[in-house]
Amino acid sequence: MQVICVSRGTLGRGKELAEVAAKKLDFACLSREELVEAAIKEGIQVGKLEMAMLKPQAFSERLALEREHYQAFCTAYLCDRAVSGDLVYHGRTGHLLLPGVSHVLRVRVVSDQEHRIRAVMNQMGIERNKARSYIEEVDEDRKRWAKSMYGVSLDEVINYDFIVNLEQMSLENAASALVGVAQLPDFQMTPASKKAVLNLQLGARVRLALARDERTCGATFKVRADAGTVTVSYLPQDSSVAEFIPEVLQPVVGVGEVRITMAMTNILWIQQEFQPHSETYDKVVEIARKWNAAVELMRLAPEEQSPSLQQRGVTGSTRAVASVDSREYDGGIEDDTADAADDIGGLKPTLDELAMVGRSGGGRAVYGDHHQLIELLDRRVPYTLVVIGNVFLAKGHAAKLRATRDLRSFLSDRIKAPVVTADELGSQFLFGKRDITRTVVFAVLVLAMYWLVFTHQEPILGFLAHSGWYAEAVEGTFLARFSWLPKVIVSAAVFFVIPVVAYTYGSVTSAMLKLMKME
Amino acid sequence: MENLLFGHFVHLDLVGALQVVAIGFIGGTLSGFIGSGGAFFMTPGMMNLGVPGVVAVGSNIAHKFGKAMMGSRRHREYGNVDRRLSVFMVTTSFAGIQLAVWINSALFKGAGGEHGTGGSGASNLYISMVFILILSVVAISMLRDALRRDGGDGTPSMRIANFLSRLYLPPYIYFTVADVKVSLWIVLVAGLATGYLAGTIGVGGFIGVPAMIYLFGVATPVAAGSELYLAQFMGAWGAINYAYQGMVDLRLTMLLYLGSLLGIFIGAYGVKVVREVMIRLVTAIVILLCVVSRAIAVPMYLRQLGWIGMNPDWDKYFNQASKAMLFAAGISGIVVILYNVIKAYRQRRQVQTTLVRLRVEGEAA
Repeated sequence: MQVICVSRGTLGRGKELAEVAAKKLDFACLSREELVEAAIKEGIQVGKLEMAMLKPQAFSERLALEREHYQAFCTAYLCDRAVSGDLVYHGRTGHLLLPGVSHVLRVRVVSDQEHRIRAVMNQMGIERNKARSYIEEVDEDRKRWAKSMYGVSLDEVINYDFIVNLEQMSLENAASALVGVAQLPDFQMTPASKKAVLNLQLGARVRLALARDERTCGATFKVRADAGTVTVSYLPQDSSVAEFIPEVLQPVVGVGEVRITMAMTNILWIQQEFQPHSETYDKVVEIARKWNAAVELMRLAPEEQSPSLQQRGVTGSTRAVASVDSREYDGGIEDDTADAADDIGGLKPTLDELAMVGRSGGGRAVYGDHHQLIELLDRRVPYTLVVIGNVFLAKGHAAKLRATRDLRSFLSDRIKAPVVTADELGSQFLFGKRDITRTVVFAVLVLAMYWLVFTHQEPILGFLAHSGWYAEAVEGTFLARFSWLPKVIVSAAVFFVIPVVAYTYGSVTSAMLKLMKME
Repeated sequence: MENLLFGHFVHLDLVGALQVVAIGFIGGTLSGFIGSGGAFFMTPGMMNLGVPGVVAVGSNIAHKFGKAMMGSRRHREYGNVDRRLSVFMVTTSFAGIQLAVWINSALFKGAGGEHGTGGSGASNLYISMVFILILSVVAISMLRDALRRDGGDGTPSMRIANFLSRLYLPPYIYFTVADVKVSLWIVLVAGLATGYLAGTIGVGGFIGVPAMIYLFGVATPVAAGSELYLAQFMGAWGAINYAYQGMVDLRLTMLLYLGSLLGIFIGAYGVKVVREVMIRLVTAIVILLCVVSRAIAVPMYLRQLGWIGMNPDWDKYFNQASKAMLFAAGISGIVVILYNVIKAYRQRRQVQTTLVRLRVEGEAA
């Protein structure tokens, strides 16, 4: 089962290219239009969703649920088709539908503007300028759709494996080139990549089952599936539906163990080797408990350790991703090699421990560097914190520090959450000895400021009102020559005092809440 | 002490101080819950304690300065601040604040500026009327959106945004973090309105955030973060201007901090455990009750201006009724938030216990 996902623009000949390539390869061809039709039959209001996507401010809770339903449906539908045979899919965001699957060839088709304008003029019978504006508007809408739906920009070239420019190339030749790329060993299915598809399929089926059941359809869920183990996270306000989850998932084929976590948010923990009950583990769990967060593990290992790479026997692959669990899985796949590799990272025991404390947010392994990592991340998941633990273990101390710093800055630019290293966890988010000293000093300062103000109300009010002792003191000095100058001094005093009070008292309050784990 | 209060500051005893702290706490909690505002409770609350409206606004805007400075730092960490958008809005918001300070101070000082006099009454009436007008519109819109969910699709009305998107008003500016392209003129007008309201009643966020969401098309978290970033500059500018006029009571600002900085955390937690529709409903009802509370105080100011004939002894009854209504609104809002916070904590404990037990039973089997 090979999959080629073609991302196309308005009248950019992506559809034609996909169809020709599918014919050459003897693959089935699926268009976005067919997918949408199936989604509408499922009862999803795709039209309303499209309108809301284009105007992000109009996104209500109900439409957010509709979006989850739609995404799960598309993933499940595409996975079902991909599992049953080779497939070429073409749509506006085809390259984003099956993230983290190494045998999916992600293609972007661009066409010359002139051809597109002419096509619109012929098809819609409108003049040149209107045709150009139409194309610009539709392209803008597509960008918004990708941003709203998947949290990524359509123009990010890192998300594509192959970009075809049809300006100087015939459709036939472009399709031949595409066929050639598709036959490269990098895009052939391996047991690990097949397992990744099956995980996506199972996760999507689970989410669909929750959306279809009337008891759970009104709640927001985040689902991760790893070889039969399903982790379902839900928000505290949806806690009344939690009891129905196991019952709803009972009939879903492929579901083994179900882990249910109530979490308001997510913490992403990236590390090369995980160990339950290590110092970092304890700190992460403590923070997760305080924030009511689920912890998602991401094992970042060197590309050489990738099971896909080892099985292909090639080097230089740019994408290598595997799922995590070492449990036996009866979903049609026997994958001892990948399982053995997963065990090395300590993901399974760490996830088990997290599940025991009700904090598991699922886990995955990624083999490669920053780019492979970001590709696998679901940008729609609202992370509150990203923790970078011990990574790049094979490097020397200085090189490791530098690589960690680079990774941190790379992630900070792309994820809307604070990114910290494991060493900083204690000082930034937990109440330590330094916090005690700081809080005591600030508390003394706050008390001194309040004591000063409330025991000297008369002179302070006189100063603020430019009257009393202040007016007398100003009289006869050079300040009196300019009526505005004494007032400016009062303004400046207020300008400097207010932030000091807010900062010191705010720091004391924040530290006290941190101590009480109520942050 | 009375002559030491320089005509416009109030005497503060322990009970009065505690009431200001309570106002700060309720305002802070509502502010954390709504994501913006809080001054809609604090400004009238202080006015009910006898603080002249202009001093209440001045002290509150100084409070807003420090509070926004603390809050926007966290929003920046989460990438929710479009500084470029805030900088564009800040230019005209300063003009709006300046206009508001000028009108407020002129009304207050115009007729003596003493407690219970025409000047104080004129300023109080002006602030109350702006408050009633703006917050009624905000509350009714929120209520309508919240109750509309069965009939419509649960989304806020997009009529204004659709209307504006049809107008062609160059030049357009692209704001990268917010990922929107907006006409410069709309940004400048929104900044002016935000500044004017922040300077008049201390509630700029009630205009700034909806303007960014409904008019510019900015995503809600970015709108809240950018408005907070903008609010620190508006707060600083407002504090400087009101202090220049001698209308900032540092004691009130400091007492407000005591309650508000604690309340914000509780309110923010409440948002995580209460459904969106419920948030809108609670907010709308609390704001409406605050509007009613302010309306009850209006006859008092009309009498002070000599526009209606009323026994001056009745002032205290109007003031007490207004105060009672305001506190009832604030406390009922707080009760809803705290109830949900505690309920969520209890449910979390139950769920975790169940998970552990199932696991142990599974292993034993």
